[in-house]
Amino acid sequence: MDFIWHIIAITCMTIPHALAYNLVFGKGKILHFGPIGVSLVASYAVVIIAISTGSFIAATLVGLISVVLLSLFLAWLSLRLDQDAFGVMTIAVHLSILAVILNWNGLTRGALGIPGVPRFSFLSSVQSFAIAAAVVSLLFVIALRLIDRSSFGRQLQALAEHEWHAKSLGINRTKVHVIAFLVAGLGALATALLFPQYLAFLHPNDYQYPFLVFFITIIVAGNPGSVYGVLLSTILLTVLKEALRFLPLSSAVMGPVRLILFGIIMLAVVYWRRDTLFPKQRSI
Amino acid sequence: MTQLIINGLIAGSLAALIAGGLALVYGVLGVFNMALGQMALIGGYCTWWLHQIVGLSLPLSIIGGLTIAAFVSWIAFEIFINPFYKRHRFLPLVTTIALSMILDGLILLFFEEKPRAIMPGVRHSIEVFGARISIEQIVLISFTIMLMMVLAYVLHSTAFGRKVRAVVQHDHAAMSLGIRAPLLHRFLFIMSGVLAGLGGIYLGIDQNLTPVFAFPITIKAYAAIIAGGKGNIWGAIVCAYLIAILEQLVVGVHWFGSFYVPAGYQQTVALLFIILFLLFKPAGMFSTKTRSA
Repeated sequence: MDFIWHIIAITCMTIPHALAYNLVFGKGKILHFGPIGVSLVASYAVVIIAISTGSFIAATLVGLISVVLLSLFLAWLSLRLDQDAFGVMTIAVHLSILAVILNWNGLTRGALGIPGVPRFSFLSSVQSFAIAAAVVSLLFVIALRLIDRSSFGRQLQALAEHEWHAKSLGINRTKVHVIAFLVAGLGALATALLFPQYLAFLHPNDYQYPFLVFFITIIVAGNPGSVYGVLLSTILLTVLKEALRFLPLSSAVMGPVRLILFGIIMLAVVYWRRDTLFPKQRSI
Repeated sequence: MTQLIINGLIAGSLAALIAGGLALVYGVLGVFNMALGQMALIGGYCTWWLHQIVGLSLPLSIIGGLTIAAFVSWIAFEIFINPFYKRHRFLPLVTTIALSMILDGLILLFFEEKPRAIMPGVRHSIEVFGARISIEQIVLISFTIMLMMVLAYVLHSTAFGRKVRAVVQHDHAAMSLGIRAPLLHRFLFIMSGVLAGLGGIYLGIDQNLTPVFAFPITIKAYAAIIAGGKGNIWGAIVCAYLIAILEQLVVGVHWFGSFYVPAGYQQTVALLFIILFLLFKPAGMFSTKTRSA
């Protein structure tokens, strides 16, 4: 039974980040490959402040400030650069953050990670984590569904489909990008508040490149831009990822097999969605 | 200081090979191959396997390693690039991320995480202007320069090179003149894979091969391409050397008395280089204006 609660907890912790990232990458078609970098900054900011001050309010506030600053930086970059250059740049930002965390031993303990992450008083068991994460996920589903149906959602979609036409209709690209990146950052923060507490351990290995591939696969498989589609793919792919543990393979084989499997799934879903992931712009 | 510059030249030779091939592919196909680092490691690891495990001589192992790199590149083109790049040029950016994952998994399965050296053992070093350099490293630098000269000759003084440059300038116009652009696309992608594989073999001869090298290799190649002007092969090669020398100088010199940059930050130099270029000169150092009509 505990394993089912664990699956629910892990899935519901992934949902806010995946849905919020879907707004930028799926609906906005912005080649943002740095969501794990944002999550990394949020997690370390929250955990370091929570340990040093003992106050979750201060930790959440510092996490929020760091996420807002990084999201504003990414939004600014997205406005300045070509799409593909922005994609490479966001990977560079992610790897730079990772390099700083791995080398700033005095603050982050580097590759050793931070053990003994303090928990909210009401989060003591797997069940309580699962319920809390489910509530947060539900709030995010409702909020993102409202955003999707709002004029902002339509503006973001219009910019993704044809930027010049959208601009000529008076859509403010700067405002739309900033809001989209801030929402994506809030999703990362929600996950960052719960995930390290659940594991009681914060380690840079949990924020490496394969996790980006997992997120992209979720968005593409769930139909980019669709809230319910991405919700469903998050549930299915997270369950699949966790269920792989039951394969009778050693840990040395399991890691590579998981990489290969998710790589193949990603290729298959991109092939399946190749006409809708980045639709060709109509010229006439 | 001389030692740092020599170290930079060695690292730059490796990066120049990879960035040169990538710049050619980007110029012609408009595709950013995110699995390039893994393709480089495939070349290096296969050479290690042929030399250290199968027991072939070094030249035969290198030829074998490059052949496997070419085969992997061809398969990668047919499965991960060809069905996508004509629909939208961003699709291969996503599919090659999937390819990088699959190759990472295969490398870990077949070659494990242990460091692998193609030629383990003592190096025969000589002293040049007070700096130590091994015979193997001299051969690697000389061979890269020679290869670049051959590439320059092929691109600028042969009919084949003119066809390649025509496709780089305007795909459709070149096809209307009878140049078989799709065949050239395939050939250039395989060529970039072979150059990357050669880079991986350099790495395996000069240092140790480990799977964690893949992404730093890719990111450095991109840094060189972006800084050199996207699609400009010579700009990419010059910038690959520049970034490698800069990396050595940033972490190797005590710039302000006792202050120094820890070695762990070395790979972020290339990343900062991209960031600065993209922000202040997004078109790159050697960008040229292209005609639109």
